[in-house]
Amino acid sequence: MSMDSKPQQPANSPPKPWERAGATSGPTPFKPPSAGNTSDVVESSGTANPGEIVSTSDRTTTVNRNALGRPLPTRSWEQSYGTTNYGGYGSTMNYNSGIGSGMNGSYGGFGGGLYGGGMYGNSMYRGGYGGLYGSSGVYGGGMYNGGFGGPMGGYGMGMGGSYGVQDPNNPYGDPSPPPGFWISVLRVLQGVVNFFGRISILIDQNTQAFHMFMTALLQLFDRSGLLYGELARFVLRLLGIRSKPRKVHPPGPNGRPLPGPNNMQNLLEGPKAAPSESWDNVWGNDAGK
Amino acid sequence: MPVFKTPFNGYSVKFSPFYESRLAVATAQNFGILGNGRIHVLDLSPTAPTLSQLVSFDTADGVYDLSWSESHDSLLVAATADGSVKIYDTALPPTANPIRSLHEHTREVHSTDYNPTRRDSFLTASWDDTIKLWTVDRPTSVRTFKEHAYCVYNAAWNPRHSDVFCSASGDCTLRIWDVREAGSTMIIPAHEFEILACDWNKYDDCVIASASVDKSIKLWDVRNYRVPITVLNGHGYAVRRVKFSPHRRNVLASCSYDMTVCLWDFMVEDALVARYDHHTEFAVGVDMSVLVEGLLASTGWDELVYVWQQGMDPRAV
Repeated sequence: MSMDSKPQQPANSPPKPWERAGATSGPTPFKPPSAGNTSDVVESSGTANPGEIVSTSDRTTTVNRNALGRPLPTRSWEQSYGTTNYGGYGSTMNYNSGIGSGMNGSYGGFGGGLYGGGMYGNSMYRGGYGGLYGSSGVYGGGMYNGGFGGPMGGYGMGMGGSYGVQDPNNPYGDPSPPPGFWISVLRVLQGVVNFFGRISILIDQNTQAFHMFMTALLQLFDRSGLLYGELARFVLRLLGIRSKPRKVHPPGPNGRPLPGPNNMQNLLEGPKAAPSESWDNVWGNDAGK
Repeated sequence: MPVFKTPFNGYSVKFSPFYESRLAVATAQNFGILGNGRIHVLDLSPTAPTLSQLVSFDTADGVYDLSWSESHDSLLVAATADGSVKIYDTALPPTANPIRSLHEHTREVHSTDYNPTRRDSFLTASWDDTIKLWTVDRPTSVRTFKEHAYCVYNAAWNPRHSDVFCSASGDCTLRIWDVREAGSTMIIPAHEFEILACDWNKYDDCVIASASVDKSIKLWDVRNYRVPITVLNGHGYAVRRVKFSPHRRNVLASCSYDMTVCLWDFMVEDALVARYDHHTEFAVGVDMSVLVEGLLASTGWDELVYVWQQGMDPRAV
């Protein structure tokens, strides 16, 4: 059919080549097709459930119905609160103690490292860097035990504490609604979570995808400022790549060797200047749709 | 052979079932990890080997897959990374699109397939572990299929049975469904690793192909699914998409994270018919034209869309 002869709408697509072919290889196990349109067929079968939103708890049920009895991959974005990363909650609540919580690696890595010692306590809030560099807890705290599925558990908890309102010892805490800046930060963190959700999927699909993440990350951070610099360092740290030269590199998840950090070091030294425009634009939803 | 450069990383390419020269491409920024997306509708020039853009649509999140309507020549269904399913009318300008945005999936929508026989409905498969069935005339899904225990990467209609489809999931199973049944009608533990894609043979409605992270493609007969009919080895990394030829009974195409597109004839011993290594990054989208025999299209993370005739070099000018 040529492009110029536009069919009247609605009009069905031309017959498929296989529809012109004869019957298939004998009897099939399928019930013969029902007449009528899809909505009617489904409704008359009694299985219709229009507009169903499947919640997380529903999904847990389906996990139990897993017919295979096979261990399933960790779902990074909804790690349960009861895992080893739960310790992150405590350290998040103590976020103002900076290095201290970061060093308490036994608390379980992520919470201690990012929200406690790193991002929140020092870099973002107090403007220092000590906690981030001192947060060896990320390595010691079971980060690699949890693989890539691990860190997200800490996220949920971190959100709970990150406003700081519930913490009586919090000298900076502001019980009033968080300022726009924090909303922006949380939005950025949400982006990080999405990022990891997708990263973990891609890693499941192919560990070779590693170098692509590096490229993607660096491209992103190249266009942005301080916060991204922090996130970059944190993310690279999660991936087992140090932004400061060290003699020994920890092995990757499951003992996999990780891509060498040497070619990246120079790119990551030193934070960039903060962007002058509003944080609201950092995720660039300009397309609007 | 025609090449088109997209600003973002390619994720999917689909030939129009109405116009032999038209195709649509789904793309996502930053390798689909985060950022915006764009859908390109392209036309092959009848005179020169070039692809020109008819129209493009921007989205706020990456587009992972799309499918053309089988009942309206200008309608496109897009599966996006923010969990929404969007319907575009390519005859309308970008400002009037999308004509519908359906928000029910709670995670990324990874694939979509339009019913080729009943032509009034389509499926979406999502990382929220569910498959949803939609009709074009309703603002909500008709029903939700939730049985997979992990992300559903692909769902494909049976080409002859308008109520039957199969799905491929990260829970390492292939499932066969009938929209009139409450649960799946068949569970095939097809691979030891995640299954990323599945497709039905167009000439034998009992044969399915599954493509997995274990680098293999397996062919299954649903009447005897204990053992695969055959296993196609040859990709070096996870196989991302598999597609049976609309014209040849035994031919299928696949693309992989090993950056190649492969053509297979599963009935012969040396099943690998052709290997195309024109992509320089992951090859994640491949399609075979239903209107022109042997016409292939592919896209990948190298931001290029290739269209070529089987047997030719996609890079040949």
